[in-house]
Amino acid sequence: MRRVIVLVLLYLLMQAVLPLGEGTPAALVLMAFGFLILGAYSVGELATTIRLPKIVGYLAAGLAVGPAALNFVSVPVMDQLAPVSELAIALIAFLAGAELQLEEVRNRGVVLLKMMTAELSVSFIGIVVVLASLHNFLPFLQGAPFTEVMGFSILFASVAVVHSPAVTMALLSESGAKGVVARTTLGVVLLADVAVVLSFSGALALARVLAPPEGDGGVGALVVLWEIGGAILVGAVLGGVVALYLRFISRELFIFAILVAFFGAEIAGLMHVEVLLTLLVAGFVAENAGGGGGEQLRHAMERAGAPIFVVFFALAGAKIKPDAVIQLWPLVIPIVIVRAAGIWAGTQIGAWWAKAEPAAAKYTWMGLISQAGVAIGLASVVASVYPERGEELRNLFLAMIAINETLGPILFKISLLRSGEATSDSFRGSGH
Amino acid sequence: MSASLVLIIVVATAYLATHLLYEWLAKRLLIVSGAEYLVLGILLGPQVTGVIPVEAAESFGPIIVLGTGWIGLTVGMQFYLPRLVRITGLTFRLAVIESLITLGAVTLVLWWAFPALGLTSQFWAIVPALALGAIAVASTPAGLDIALRDRKRREPVVNQLETSLGVNAFVAIVTTGILFAWVHRAPTSALRPPTPTEWAVITVGVGVLGGALFHLFLGEERKVDRLVVSLGGAVILASGTAAYLNVSPVLATLVIGIVLVNTSRGRNELRTVLAAAERPFYYVLLLLAGLSWKPSTSSTIVAVILLYVVVRTLSKVYATRASTIWNKATPQLGRDWGKALIGQGRLTVALALDYARRPELPIGDVVFTAALASVLLTEFAAARLVRAALLPIVEPLRDLAQRLPWIDAEEEDAASTASTVPAASVSGTFQVPDAEGASTLLSPDAEVTPSLGGIALGRRNLPRDAHPGSTRQRTEEASPTPPVQDATPLHGPVHGQQDSSPPSNTKPDEER
Repeated sequence: MRRVIVLVLLYLLMQAVLPLGEGTPAALVLMAFGFLILGAYSVGELATTIRLPKIVGYLAAGLAVGPAALNFVSVPVMDQLAPVSELAIALIAFLAGAELQLEEVRNRGVVLLKMMTAELSVSFIGIVVVLASLHNFLPFLQGAPFTEVMGFSILFASVAVVHSPAVTMALLSESGAKGVVARTTLGVVLLADVAVVLSFSGALALARVLAPPEGDGGVGALVVLWEIGGAILVGAVLGGVVALYLRFISRELFIFAILVAFFGAEIAGLMHVEVLLTLLVAGFVAENAGGGGGEQLRHAMERAGAPIFVVFFALAGAKIKPDAVIQLWPLVIPIVIVRAAGIWAGTQIGAWWAKAEPAAAKYTWMGLISQAGVAIGLASVVASVYPERGEELRNLFLAMIAINETLGPILFKISLLRSGEATSDSFRGSGH
Repeated sequence: MSASLVLIIVVATAYLATHLLYEWLAKRLLIVSGAEYLVLGILLGPQVTGVIPVEAAESFGPIIVLGTGWIGLTVGMQFYLPRLVRITGLTFRLAVIESLITLGAVTLVLWWAFPALGLTSQFWAIVPALALGAIAVASTPAGLDIALRDRKRREPVVNQLETSLGVNAFVAIVTTGILFAWVHRAPTSALRPPTPTEWAVITVGVGVLGGALFHLFLGEERKVDRLVVSLGGAVILASGTAAYLNVSPVLATLVIGIVLVNTSRGRNELRTVLAAAERPFYYVLLLLAGLSWKPSTSSTIVAVILLYVVVRTLSKVYATRASTIWNKATPQLGRDWGKALIGQGRLTVALALDYARRPELPIGDVVFTAALASVLLTEFAAARLVRAALLPIVEPLRDLAQRLPWIDAEEEDAASTASTVPAASVSGTFQVPDAEGASTLLSPDAEVTPSLGGIALGRRNLPRDAHPGSTRQRTEEASPTPPVQDATPLHGPVHGQQDSSPPSNTKPDEER
């Protein structure tokens, strides 16, 4: 009841304030930010009462207040709030890297690698085949030559196979699960992220050859190499500095956590290296070289990031275009089904190949369905490379991501509950 | 290099450096850190080096609004009613008189000066004059915090200063809030533009709603994580809403602070959260203030700064002196306690920024420049000014400390037995006659110390080998209960109650 009153008050506040104000865009952005924190968080808590993950509530809240519905958070405001999403992605990547213990990588690295390889390969092939087969449903691919169809199919599939470290981390943080399913899912998601970054760069280069974009040159192999290699280098240096800070100063971690994420994202952008990979490596190095201070930093980062994550997911929800989902459903539904089937089949093959634990073989696939920020980011890159065909392509991506980001957290929650690594109470009692 | 990256590097480096040096500077030199960020901002900004260009500086707008709102909240959190009602009428009277005299004097002089200097018309001059008058009332609590550090004392003059700082902040924020409501630009989309009174009510309403949302959102939870989300959400929403409505975000969040401190059971946790973010927010705000600074095109700005600083200083010193003499409070407070209110800091910057960011208000650059100049001129010396103001009134304590050198030895004995015997029974109390012959109950570990009743002297002024922190350390060791570290100005006992009060570090401040 309390949460409903909060939502009603927020709704009335916005209804009363919006016609009265003519403040600066900065003020509007700040107001929307505060509104999203309180509103989305309340909807997230309401979602737990009907046994849905909070994250689904955040997404639903974003959808409700976004341009598709109430328009309290308009497109220009969302653009202004883009740094919040960038910061959230940086925080998520750092936290995800920090979750990887060196010991675990040594012990389970091969298992994770085999499962990830099988899962990504099968789902990638499946999506390429289904998109190439159904390409006539996409107006800009109707009657296109085979090479162009294949180029776009490969490019699309390289983005479509990506998972969501954000959703995975959020649900693990929410449930406190640390069992074999939780660790395997997280490990595969993180490794897949690195692999997708690599494969996406390659796919983009190939697509540019098969279907040259309007008035744009290609991307050289050296550029791709620098994006990846440079990210590892920059991330390692950043992680080393953080580790030194943790060892010798280790104060004001709350502020330090935010600064590290901001700095990492900015420096990665400045040096043209992959942001996610940079922060992932930085988190990994800081955790494993920080002399025990990594856990404190992680807690500080989770605390500092809590409102940022809420807004990040709400903004992701606000970007969903229901009309695009409806228009493209003949294409989107088969892609979503084939992707899920590919993930399931791939993890089964990978688990058999790696001789993984039965629980990991049975439940890991359910944690790999989610898609969110990374996928949206990569989709935006594709749309920027192909500006004329980008809008339709972006809609297709967003329609697929909308379904996966809604279903994914629910499936992951089910997998954690069924495997016994989390309980309904642990989901309900979380502060995140 | 991007502007954001420069800002992050500068803030991180400067913050770390200051953080590491802060204690050292404060202990050894009694220097309040902060103004250097202002200078740094000016140097990096579009007016000097241009490392951070105009567009980038403007893109930090939301942080400025949030920073000003955060400062309003920290001020509001000081007004805990159960404490306020224990403060005597005399203390309040002196604080209010000083605030109003400063407000009136600075406003009147500048109201005359602005048209005379050709800066604005007679009609409009009242707006910047009143704004600077309100800004002039604000004084920084940083000087008192550093001079006393975490030792909250029982001297009437310290209580008076704490009360005056709170009243000053309240008067400054409310005056600017009303001013912004008064000269509010009518929204074109509204059917009937609200009146100034309605805008003032809306400002307070935003604060009350923010406080209500905080409570509804938080519920019965006491987890710090949830507190952070709840507090952050409420303050961000209220600051943003107030700024969007073009009313004062500082007043709106002041109201939130007052609501929260008087209704929340987790006020200590709230203070912890606020304290963790207060200094970084202030430094970022100072830096952004420096970036936002635009030099006034008028050559008369120097005259305005001089008038502002001189009139303000005279008002603070002589208004307090006159009202103290008039109210026959000289024996308890001395004549010069107003000097301790000369320093200006965070609230001044917040209010000046808030004014300067409103294009519809006249001579924003002049108001902003004068306020920043005052901060630059007075903040560094704030702690020294506090010391200068308080030393005469605690002179009897210095004499006592010098005449009774065995006090330290007794303290050490007390420390050695503290683990088994309560501190009060070990140390006993001293009857120190004050100037009017009345007695003040003082525990030796609380009052008779080389740090002059809690007022830091700096190393060179210490009578013997005592380090400024050493006595405090011994005191804490001697006490069976942990010390309360509470930096809120409006607290502690009041005149007339101190005789029966226990030492300040023996009870949680809620109970005092």
